[in-house]
Amino acid sequence: MSFLVVEGLVVGYGEARVLHGVDLSVAEGEICAILGPNGAGKTTLLRALSGMVRARGVIRLGGTALTGRPPDAVARLGVAHVPEGRGTFMPLTVEENLRLGAFVRRGGREVEDDLDRVCSWFPPLRDRLGQVAGSLSGGEQQMLALGRALMLRPKVLLLDEPSLGLAPLVTRELFRIVQAINQEERTTVVVVEQNAHLALGVARQAHVLETGRIVLSGTAERIRADEQVAQSYLGYRV
Amino acid sequence: MTQVEDAGVDARPERRRPRWTPTGRRRAAVAALLAAALYAPFQLVPFHVFQLTMVLVYAVALLGLNLLVGHAGQISLGHGAFFAVGAYTAAVLTHGPGLPYPLTLPAAAVVAFLLGLAFGVPAVRLRGLYLALVTLAMAIFLVPLLKRFEGVTGGSMGLTLPKPGPPAWSGLAEDQWLYFLALAVAVASFALVGSLLRSRVGRALHALRDDEGAAEVMGVRLPAYKTLAFAWSAMFAGVAGCVYTWVIGFVSPDSFTVNLSITLLAGLVVGGLGSTAGPVLGALFVMFVPSIAQDLNEAAPGVILGLLIIAVMYVAPTGLAGLAGRLIRKIPRKE
Repeated sequence: MSFLVVEGLVVGYGEARVLHGVDLSVAEGEICAILGPNGAGKTTLLRALSGMVRARGVIRLGGTALTGRPPDAVARLGVAHVPEGRGTFMPLTVEENLRLGAFVRRGGREVEDDLDRVCSWFPPLRDRLGQVAGSLSGGEQQMLALGRALMLRPKVLLLDEPSLGLAPLVTRELFRIVQAINQEERTTVVVVEQNAHLALGVARQAHVLETGRIVLSGTAERIRADEQVAQSYLGYRV
Repeated sequence: MTQVEDAGVDARPERRRPRWTPTGRRRAAVAALLAAALYAPFQLVPFHVFQLTMVLVYAVALLGLNLLVGHAGQISLGHGAFFAVGAYTAAVLTHGPGLPYPLTLPAAAVVAFLLGLAFGVPAVRLRGLYLALVTLAMAIFLVPLLKRFEGVTGGSMGLTLPKPGPPAWSGLAEDQWLYFLALAVAVASFALVGSLLRSRVGRALHALRDDEGAAEVMGVRLPAYKTLAFAWSAMFAGVAGCVYTWVIGFVSPDSFTVNLSITLLAGLVVGGLGSTAGPVLGALFVMFVPSIAQDLNEAAPGVILGLLIIAVMYVAPTGLAGLAGRLIRKIPRKE
């Protein structure tokens, strides 16, 4: 049963069209990877899903139409977006960043519990709650971005290039945590990645996006196995 | 990354507090400052009491501007206009219907708030230089407008009003009474803004200042918060304007030129954007530095003032508040 459904999604910035009718469906509780080269429209696709850019077409989350809703309304419906470049609020403390993640939930006991839960997913954050987020390392900032998104108690987690600028070891660890979160909390995850190898390691379904169109879809195993197709579309070895 | 390995294993240990807690020290500083503020008017000559009163007035105006510029990351080159609107609301209501002065304060606050709300609407769509231009236009527009509606505003001649007199029980002189009125308004305003900033609303403002896109996907409604930031900010400028009218007892269009708006913004930046002490230090700067510049060189006070601003920004790019913070942190602490 599809949880997140995208049909005929068209997005353009001014004159330039970036997405030309993308169809996508993600089952509840699964990890879905969007792969593709630079400029394929991966980030734009996520931005359209969270309402940051205007899109035409259909986006539905569990039967609720998302198209045309502003980002704050989409967040209220349980979509957490970890934007490109992480969107860390640098001058604020780690704790303030995390609390902003739960902004739409208006506080209360549950938020305090979730703050604790996030800290147990990412122990380094617990030690740095009072520290300014700008002083964190890249890996810690990515943990913070993930943790902040979890503070929403999201139904869907949108991750934009979590590996960007991080050491391979750190990235692998992050993907392991994403997978654990997905399994334990049944959070649906859509992850955009250039590092196809990593993404295919955790995803069940994968889609290859090229110049605004989905050119290849299938299970992660199939895409990984289809080396020739992957090479020609992704431009690198999987 | 070895630390991450034990994710989820340790079941909820006590959440650690930040190592460096400035709260205690900050409380002590505020208490000391308040004590000094209560004591000062009994030690100073009336003219100096008047000067301190004006510092309090500017501090409230800068507090409002700081909310908008320092905390919400928007810009206003026209805050003098909100200040003027507060001042004129108080003056007109006292002059015409003869409203008792304590009631002019909420009136000025409401009028400035509504005007800020109206100007917050373009702020939703405009950014940076474009927003600066619109707010600058507001400040330019105001003076001729005040002169034009002579029947209400007194035109170029302005309005002269009786100053609030001290009640007999207080045993205070007029300048002291005005000082304490201004102090009460300032303390209440700072407390209000402080609690606003510590709340969820404050976090939303900081988020939209630091990264609009990320704030928006957290669920912060940008249009609502930007508009409200403008309105609150204008409200405090209006409140300051009202107290100005009480203290000076006279309003005229030429007291509220574009120059006032620019001075307020410059004062805030010199004092320290986004810090609590910034508006106070900025108010001291706005009040005293122009006259110091005048003393240094009577022919070109503007040049001296400009050079002083450049010097401060060169030495303390985060404003005087930032400089003070840096110096305080250098003092070794006993464990």
